[in-house]
Formats: sequence, C-alpha cells, structure tokens
Amino acid sequence: MSIYKIILASFLICLVIQLSHGATKERLFSDLEKGALEVTAKPSRQGVLDAGIDKLSITWKLSSTAKKQANFTTIKVKLCYAPVSQVDRPWRKTENELFKDKTCPHKIITRAYNKSSQSFKYTLERDIPTGTYFVRAYAVDAKDHEVAFGQSTNEAKTTNVFSVQAISGRHKSLDIASICFSVFSVLALLVFFVNEKRKAKLEQSK
Amino acid sequence: MAHRNEEEGSIGTSMHGVTAKEHVFSFSDQGEDAWSSHSVQSDDPTAKFALPVDSEHKAKVFKPFSFAKPHMRAFHLGWISFFTCFISTFAAAPLVPIIRDNLNLTKTDIGNAGVASVSGAIFSRLAMGAVCDLLGARYGTAFLLMLSAPAVFSMSFVADAGGYLSVRFMIGFCLATFVSCSYWTSVMFTGKIIGLVNGCAGGWGDMGGGVTQLLMPMVFHVIKVAGATPFTAWRIAFFVPGFLQVIMGILVLTLGQDLPDGNLSTLQKKGDVSKDKLTKVFWYALRNYRTYVLFILYGFSMGIEMTINNVISEYFFDRFQLKLHTAGMIAASFGMANFFARPIGGFASDMSARFFGMRGRLWTLWILQTSGGLFCVWLGRATSLPIAILAMMLFSFGVQAACGAIYGVVPFVSRRSLGIISGLTGAGGNFGSGVTQLAFFSSSRFHTADGLSLMGITSMIVTLLVAFIHFPQWGSMFLGPTSDGRKSKEEHYYAAEWTEEEKLKGLHEGSLKFAENSRSERGKKAAPDGTSTPLENENPADV
Repeated sequence: MSIYKIILASFLICLVIQLSHGATKERLFSDLEKGALEVTAKPSRQGVLDAGIDKLSITWKLSSTAKKQANFTTIKVKLCYAPVSQVDRPWRKTENELFKDKTCPHKIITRAYNKSSQSFKYTLERDIPTGTYFVRAYAVDAKDHEVAFGQSTNEAKTTNVFSVQAISGRHKSLDIASICFSVFSVLALLVFFVNEKRKAKLEQSK
Repeated sequence: MAHRNEEEGSIGTSMHGVTAKEHVFSFSDQGEDAWSSHSVQSDDPTAKFALPVDSEHKAKVFKPFSFAKPHMRAFHLGWISFFTCFISTFAAAPLVPIIRDNLNLTKTDIGNAGVASVSGAIFSRLAMGAVCDLLGARYGTAFLLMLSAPAVFSMSFVADAGGYLSVRFMIGFCLATFVSCSYWTSVMFTGKIIGLVNGCAGGWGDMGGGVTQLLMPMVFHVIKVAGATPFTAWRIAFFVPGFLQVIMGILVLTLGQDLPDGNLSTLQKKGDVSKDKLTKVFWYALRNYRTYVLFILYGFSMGIEMTINNVISEYFFDRFQLKLHTAGMIAASFGMANFFARPIGGFASDMSARFFGMRGRLWTLWILQTSGGLFCVWLGRATSLPIAILAMMLFSFGVQAACGAIYGVVPFVSRRSLGIISGLTGAGGNFGSGVTQLAFFSSSRFHTADGLSLMGITSMIVTLLVAFIHFPQWGSMFLGPTSDGRKSKEEHYYAAEWTEEEKLKGLHEGSLKFAENSRSERGKKAAPDGTSTPLENENPADV
C-alpha cells in the first residue's frame, strides 16, 4: 500500500510545481531589451580552450542605447551554447519562453548592478561540456525577472564564439581498478568451473 | 527441463537404469554434493525436500519468504541475479544528462545506444536456453553475471559516442539472465503454480529497471559530494552495479543447485540426466509455430517496457519541464510497479487456468496486453502531468502483467525444448524493444508523445495474434480442443517431439510425466478425464 502513497505524493508534488510555474510561463525572451549591456569575453589563449584550466576575461557595462536601466538590480552572467552546439541536442534548445529556454545553463557570476564597467576573470569549470560558446549577461530586476540582456556575440550568435574541450573524466587509477576487478570476475568464474568439473570426474571414477 | 529417466522398472531401460530407490542411495552417499546434507535413509525420495513436491521433484507450493534449498533458494538467487542485470543494463539511462555532456553525445547517439543496450540480449537470450540445457541454470547465470561485469567496469574507459554504444551493447548481453532465471524456476516449480512463480521472479527482476533510476543518481550524488567532479563521478558510480554482479555470481555458484536432485554435472556423470542433442531441441522449437507468436507478443509487452525504461525519464523531463530527480522518480515508479504487476499477471493466468484451462490463460493475456497498449496511447495524448502519471501507472500495470501472463503459457508450449522456447520468447522482448526504439524514438520525424501513441496502437494490433495460439488438447481463445480422441491427449502433444527410436529408448519419459501433470490445463474438466489416462504412461512404446 505504501507504493500507492508514494505515487499519490509525487502526483500532488508535481501538481504544485506545475501550478507555481504558471506565474512565470508568459515571460518571453523576445520581450527583453536587446543590447542593453555591452559584453566582451576574451579567451586567455588562442585555439580550443581546456575546461578546468583556461580562463575567460569577461567585461560588461551599460550600453549607451539602454533604456530600462532604472530597473536593473543584479547582473547575471552566463555561459551559453552557440547554435552549432545545439544541433541534434534538444536539451540545449533555445525557446522563447524564458523558463523553458535552455540556451544558457552555466552560471558564471552574479553581481549587483553597477553603472561603471565591470570585469571578471572566469576559469572554465570542470563540468563544462565540449562545445562552442558565447557569454550573455542578463539584467535582472528586484523581482528576479529578466528585463534586458547583452551578449558577446551578434544576434545570429555566429561571431566571437569560442570552443571549449571538456575534461575526459578518466583517471589512470580508475582504469587500473576497472581492469583488476574485471580480471577477478573472470578468474573467479573459471576457478569455480574447473573445480566443479574436476570434482564431478572424481565422483564418476568412484 | 529434466531429462531424467525414472522408468519405474520397465524393460528396455538404459544401462544406467535408475529406479527411485537407487536415486536415494547415491544421494546419501557422501558425494561432493554438499547441499543434500539430509542423510535420511528413507524410501521416499521426496522426504528430503522442505516443500511438498510432485513426481518430478518440483515444488508444489511457493513460499516467497523461505530460503529453503533447493527450490526457494533457486528462486531467490534467480530473480536477484536478473534484478542485478537490469540495474546494470539501464544504469546509464538516469545518468544520460551527465554522460551526454561528458561525451558530447547527440540525440541520435543516445537513441542508438539505447537500441544497442537491448540488442545484445536478443542473441544471448536465444543462446541461453541451450546453455542452460547443457551447463545447468547455475553456470548459465554465473557466466552472464561474471563475464558481463568487465563490461560494466569498462565504462571508466569510455571517451566518445562509439565507446559508449559498444559498452552499453556489451552490458546488455547479461539480460539473458531472464532466461536462466525462468529456466531455473521452471525446473524447480510445478506447472500449476509456475505462472505465479515466474511472474514474481520476472517481475521482481524487472523492478531493477526502476530501481536503477533512483539508485544511480543517488550513488552519483554521494560520489560527487565525496569530492569527485561530475564527469568522473558517473564513471565511479558504475562500479556499484559491477560489484553487485560479481557478488551475485559467486553466491549463485556457492549457494545454488541446478535441479531439485542435485547439480547437473553430478547427475549427468552418474547417468541420471541424459544430455539431449542441441540440434534436435532447436529443431522442435523452430517447428512449433507458437514459438514465433510468443516471440512477437513478448516483443510488444516486455519490449515496450524496456523501451519505456530508456525513454520515459527524458520524456517527462522535456514535456513537463521537471527537475532531473523528479523525472527520475516518475521513471522509477514505472519500473517498480513490476513488484506486484507481473506476479499479478502470472497469478491471474494461473487462476483463469484453474477454471477455464489454457483458454483462460490466453484470454487473460489478451486482455492485459491490449489494455496496456490502450493506456500507452493515452499516455502519449496526455497534456497535463497528473493525467500523464495516471496513464503511465495504468499502462505499466497492463504491460507488465501481460509479461507475467505470457510466461504462464510458455512452459506448456513444449517440454523438450522448454529452454530454447523460453529463450526465444525472451529474445523477442529485446527484439521488440530495439524495433520500437528505432521506429518511434530515434528520429525527429515525430514528437516523443506521438511515438508513444503509435507504439500503443501497434501493440494493440499485434496482440490480436494471441487468437492464433491453439493447442489440440486444450483449444484456443475461440476454438475448443480437437475432437480426435488420440490427438486430444496431452501425451500425444508432448510425445510428438520425440522420434520413434528415441521413444523406444525411453528418452521421452520426462515429457510423459510432464503431460500427466499438465492435465490441469483443461480447467474444471480435468477431474473426470484424469482417471482414464494413467494407463498410457506405463507403456512407453505404445504412442
């Protein structure tokens, strides 16, 4: 019976989650003010960057064309996927509804809004996947709703993008442990098998 | 599947001629068979068993809380081995969001790996029946567990999509433990309860597909907290299913027993069990059209279940914007419903057989599988989360109970080729899973939701094939048993799998014994007919 209780509980939880999402459903990306911030992202070296090692020099400041800056409370800087890294990967899809949009999943830094130029030296995290990226800064108001943004690339997201190579996640010690346990498994089986065949032969010869 | 020759002293027996009394004598003799420590020198060979047994020494009752050897112990070792393999095979599914980032996978890569994970078992399940016939259920199980453990460990080496696919393919071979498990229970438990027993073993084993959706993220999280980065943590997490497999393999070999009377190698060397020819066993399986029908049917019950194990978490995650662990929880509920759904299917099959015989079993199967397909269509159509979850739970019950019901029918299709047919049906499950994943979930031609509905509709159409399963001695869904006096005897059906020379050697004795025990499949009509047939058993040449 407890399985039913668990199912019922998750039902209700999901219902509540869905209802609470209702308030944010209508906020669209297209409503945000484009180019309100000027963002630059300069890789520490040429070529493909290594996650966990290489850095990005990120700067952002208020653009001269910005209009809604009175509402800006916080600036959220994020690492975003360029279109080439979104192909055949629906979990990175760009959607107009902000709560569904999965273009910019990686947080870089969050800072209070300041009129003057800001900068940050970001070391690429070790869980950044292989791909092509750009940087986007969202300007967020006091209600934690995005109102404007700026990005280090053009609208089509084709210029100034940089490539990152993820860590492999492999380790020599893991490889060795893996081999040891595999060998043990096969050996143990063989030992049992040979042993039993031998005993059966002895039985027969009795 | 015991090829034991227990001729009750009739002439023309083999040189190793064994009567029931000799059997007991060689047992109380201190062989290496440490399991039968009962040194009871009784005349009744069945006295040494903890559970009541029939003439083949198969248990007549099912006591899930007991670990008594050999019957209940075999049951528990069997289903837990199968459970462990399900955990390993679907261990990657809940971790895909991490793995796809580490290995830079595309949706196509993930879909293909999903197909690969169930494809290996098509071949291993086919071979498994024969392997069990030759080596016994213990070594069949242990081989699978301990030879696929290296594949599980080798996830630590994987660096790209190709490697990921290969490793998932190789891990998938161990799903053949399903065959070794149901083979093991089929030799340990009698026909009347085999539906329930196989339903429990299969269902509790299948639960592994649900448990893994909770277990792997949890293990992954613990390892991350201990300090590893995500891309290393998921690799370490795979050591857990690997260890489980090795441990289970050792337990099976040390605690288990192939047959009620001992281990296969021992009994064969003593001449108690004759080895059947593989080609013959295979031939009789292929000649029986019911094998193919069951192959397809199981592809659309178990096959669909495995496909859902691979796609449902992602489906809920994307369609309803859920968090990863919420989607995982829902995905886990689907697989965990197996705990009661599949045994209920087996039980329903047994219950309907008690009143309506084999016809009852077939109707039960049709009803369960069709309703499963119906709820699958509903799941695809559902646009709100609570309705989707409700549809999914009803769908899981229907499809998993159908799996249990199919294995209520399988033991009766053949006696000689039970192992092969059990394996072929199981292989059909994997085949169906590969086909449905390929057809409905690997391309961007249609949305996953539509894929689900189409899969449900296809399932309902295919399930109509149940009507074609006909037994001359028991009938089918719409037809009664044949009126021919000779062909309507169970002995005729099962003895037909042996040639005249083989019958003269008395090799078919096991089948005749089974035929007698299978008279229960006539339903309520079994009682009046039972008295007239025992005479036929004593004259093996006269068939």
